[in-house]
Amino acid sequence: MGIASALIPLHVDAQKTDRAKSLGTKLMCMCGCGQILTQCNHINCPSSGPMLKELDAHVAKGEADDLIVQDFVQEYGEKVLSAPPTKGFNSIAWYIPGVAFAIGLGIVITLIRLWRQRDVERLATASSAPPVPHTAASELRDVQLERARKQVDRETED
Amino acid sequence: MDLFGSYALLLAFAFALYAIFGGIAAIITRRPLLIKSARNAGFAVCVLIWIGTLSLWYLFYTDNYSMAYVAAHSNRSLSPYYKFSALWSGQEGSLLFWSFLLSIYVFSALYTYRGKHPELMPYVGVVLAGVQIFFLTMNNFIASPFQVFAGSGAGGILHLATRADGSGLNPLLQYPEMAIHPPTLYSGYTGFTIPFAFALAALLGRYPGEKWIHLTRRWTMIAWAFQSAGILLGAHWAYAVLGWGGYWGWDPVENASLMPWLTGTAFLHSVIMQEKRGMMRVWNVWLVFLTFMLCILGTSLTRSGAVNSVHAFAESNIGHWFWGFLLLIILVCLAAYFKNRDYLRSDNQLDSMLSRESSFLFNNLILLVACVAVLAGTLFPVLSEAVRGSKISVGPPFFNRVNIPIAMFLLFLTGVGPLLAWRKTSVESLKKNFGFPLIGGIVAAVIAVALGLREFYVTLCLLLSVFVTLTILSEFYRGARVISARTGANIFSSAAQLTMRNTRRYGGYVVHFGMVLVFIGISGQAFNQDKQMDMSAGSEMNIGPYNLLLQNYDSTSEPNYSAERATIDVSKNGRSVMMLYPTRRFYPSNQESGTMVAIASTLREDLYVVYAGTNPDTNLPVIHAYLNPLVKWIWLGGAVVVLGTILALLPNRQAVMVLSSATAGASAPVPGGAQPAQVSYSARSQLPDGHD
Repeated sequence: MGIASALIPLHVDAQKTDRAKSLGTKLMCMCGCGQILTQCNHINCPSSGPMLKELDAHVAKGEADDLIVQDFVQEYGEKVLSAPPTKGFNSIAWYIPGVAFAIGLGIVITLIRLWRQRDVERLATASSAPPVPHTAASELRDVQLERARKQVDRETED
Repeated sequence: MDLFGSYALLLAFAFALYAIFGGIAAIITRRPLLIKSARNAGFAVCVLIWIGTLSLWYLFYTDNYSMAYVAAHSNRSLSPYYKFSALWSGQEGSLLFWSFLLSIYVFSALYTYRGKHPELMPYVGVVLAGVQIFFLTMNNFIASPFQVFAGSGAGGILHLATRADGSGLNPLLQYPEMAIHPPTLYSGYTGFTIPFAFALAALLGRYPGEKWIHLTRRWTMIAWAFQSAGILLGAHWAYAVLGWGGYWGWDPVENASLMPWLTGTAFLHSVIMQEKRGMMRVWNVWLVFLTFMLCILGTSLTRSGAVNSVHAFAESNIGHWFWGFLLLIILVCLAAYFKNRDYLRSDNQLDSMLSRESSFLFNNLILLVACVAVLAGTLFPVLSEAVRGSKISVGPPFFNRVNIPIAMFLLFLTGVGPLLAWRKTSVESLKKNFGFPLIGGIVAAVIAVALGLREFYVTLCLLLSVFVTLTILSEFYRGARVISARTGANIFSSAAQLTMRNTRRYGGYVVHFGMVLVFIGISGQAFNQDKQMDMSAGSEMNIGPYNLLLQNYDSTSEPNYSAERATIDVSKNGRSVMMLYPTRRFYPSNQESGTMVAIASTLREDLYVVYAGTNPDTNLPVIHAYLNPLVKWIWLGGAVVVLGTILALLPNRQAVMVLSSATAGASAPVPGGAQPAQVSYSARSQLPDGHD
């Protein structure tokens, strides 16, 4: 068991301050796990421990948030950011959902207007058509349909 | 016996080829014998895949370590339970398991519709065999799980070699849920093949009307239910095993499972428009195509290594095969569409903006935008690398910021949609249907703010959750009250009767309610707390209302692993309430460690305690405690979603009044001897499809 214990002395350092915790969510662990820095708890992770210590050190020095993040970007590249930057080429990622929504909304509104227009035209055509001559059969059908409608209404409405 | 499964798969490949080419010949010649022969080949493919899969299980259970796959994913001391799940723990086995589940669907579909729909089924058989042959190509030639170890003997002659023991199963997979989560999720992925095959077959064969929709509705719902349950089981596994305190990390593999779920959900809604109004035929066909494509895309992403993922066990260089297959599917779908698009023409008309139809359009819009957002976030690192030469990360902050407003809009539509009438909803009806639920939601939000809630999205989520719940309850109440007035039964019994009379509609409401519970659970994330410290025996940690006292830590040894365990006495308000035993295991066979998180779960919150390891400086155990509010609501919501789907799958049981043309028993004599089609009521004990 002692051997096992020796092989398990691994853990992630906790951040010392809430500010460090908050900043840690803006950064990724660089071990390749694809997890947020403060959430990486991978066994034997070579990155998260040193990075968290580095983060705590920056916070302890009282550096500004932007400056700390920038330091990490300089050290590890843009990949260390947990979300794409809002400037430059990578800002496109932020626009895609909005553009998709705008295009989709445009299509939906256009479709609704088009289909509404079709319905108006259909009604106009129907009203301009000569009335169907009433026969005994059609009268009977109308009565029965009306009775059916009432029954359905009773069944479904309160 | 070692290679028995391999031969079975080769034979399955040959039969699949016959099912395709024989099926095409049958479509062209229309010869019944050829149609039957191609269908029987389809059955044979399925049976042979089952034999191949069963033989791999046999090799696991007999500890046959001459097989490379078995040796890499099992060992003698592995419990029989995990030898079962070890089959899909690696690339090759998981692909075979995919074929296995797909073959169950294919067999069921071919068997269910044998001798029926002669114009459609030959096409369906060809499409299904086409999908199967791709996976059989993988199973036989690209990623075979039946590869053996070779050793060289005297004279350099190669012979089968064996190992004394295997490397063992990845510790992360040695958790009971791993025997349920992958099969469930794969059943969702593979299940979407059936609606895809029917949609493509209907398009290729110009099968008239909405028949394919009726035929595949239940298949789609089954696949969707599996996908939903699979996603939530995966989230639960991540929560209980990975030990980072969360259940959803927007990992590419998680995203890959979410995308087809989103488009599948859109399809399940928009298909109602086609059934009721004959609208959106093109859209529905493409939604089914898209859902299937996203299933394949997701698999490509997770197996190609194109994106970083914690699911590294499934990465390899087979991704380009999947990209090729995806491209082929896109080309076939486009070709079929452009060749036969006139068949999909429908006379879409809309009476009013305020109608059920409009709400479905917006529902589809939101679900598709959510899918685009997830896809964009998942693939953007690849795009960025291609354009700028360096990868960027797109992590949870991006996905949360983009998807939370979308989710809120979707929740709003979940409440609004069912209360809007088909064709047109009057303003009076709106007031009548929405007044009470809306006031209820606002009151709940105001009370929450008065009690100190300051998170905007959590407040909005609460408002909308109460609103949706009240709309659902009012729907049940209105219907149940009518039945209660007619039958004298109490309101609960009437609600049950109402549900069974229209299972699809009221099952759908239950699913909506389940989603409300999931949303409430997710909103609790805004109030997560965590604390970590080195603890010696007798030391204490406070988190929320809980006090954690480390009583001691000990170690145990099991056949397959050794473990370090902390014993923690948890007290609340000075009273001992429970003992927790967070554990860290060490697996000597593969020199890896695993976490067994201790979770005390209530409806209010989860106390989640991780034995994070030993601090090398102090030699003390490191305990990481999380307080995660409302997490249990997510799992409860998932269970309700699945139950609602099962309910919606049930046929309508009780007699309902339906309009039908009576051909006999006309009571009124008609002048002139004409016999009009009579509108009457007839009771049917069982309806073939739900009506909503």
